[in-house]
Amino acid sequence: MAEERGNTAHGPGRVLVALYGVFALAASARAAVQLATRFDQAPLAYLLSALAAVVYVVATVGLVRGGRQGRRTALVACALELAGVLAVGTLSLADPAAFPDETVWSGFGRGYLYIPLVLPVLGLLWLRRRPYGWMP
Amino acid sequence: MTPGLVVAATVAAAAVAALGVLSTVLGRRIGLAHLVGAGALELVLVVQAVVAGLALAGGHRPAELPTFVAYLSSVVLLPVAGVLWARTEPTRWAGTVLAVAAAAVGVMLWRLLQLWEATGG
Repeated sequence: MAEERGNTAHGPGRVLVALYGVFALAASARAAVQLATRFDQAPLAYLLSALAAVVYVVATVGLVRGGRQGRRTALVACALELAGVLAVGTLSLADPAAFPDETVWSGFGRGYLYIPLVLPVLGLLWLRRRPYGWMP
Repeated sequence: MTPGLVVAATVAAAAVAALGVLSTVLGRRIGLAHLVGAGALELVLVVQAVVAGLALAGGHRPAELPTFVAYLSSVVLLPVAGVLWARTEPTRWAGTVLAVAAAAVGVMLWRLLQLWEATGG
């Protein structure tokens, strides 16, 4: 199998890309609606929502492109995503008033079956494992 | 956007997801059954989008119209994207890719139905 080293979008990585793609889509749609229709109600929450969307899009692109640059991009995005879901998850439980509307990261992603919490961990594990060779 | 269509689409989505997971478990690539399943799912979704589109044109207003339209168009594209992304994968994981797309369709359908039945101002 002629797989390039550092290619992150094959095998289980392709599943990861699919999950990231779905979340990029869902988070972007949600953020776009929130920012366009009621930004002034909770600016912080909606900006975080938009940030989450950007992070998912960047992670998806990084994983699809692979190679050194793509891996590095995906690594930064996954790390940001993990930090984001932990920070927003904690904040949304500690101060629910600041987050009147659910974001992807509220309550550690409980509105999304906690996938937002699991996804960055899987992403980081996958990116860590890849340099050692491709296993189907 | 009727409960009947949503149930039909959900059944099709669940079948595609199950087929996908099955082929991953068995270590096989996706085959004709997956494509037929995804095609049937797509057909139901297109019918539903047309029905919903006609009702929207007729004046029905679901809660959060922009979200509803975004979801409705995404849900139609998802099986297509899933099949394209799975078909170029030569390993057992192609099935899981398809399952992810089908599961996302299933979840989004019920969110759509919620929005549809909660008519907003």
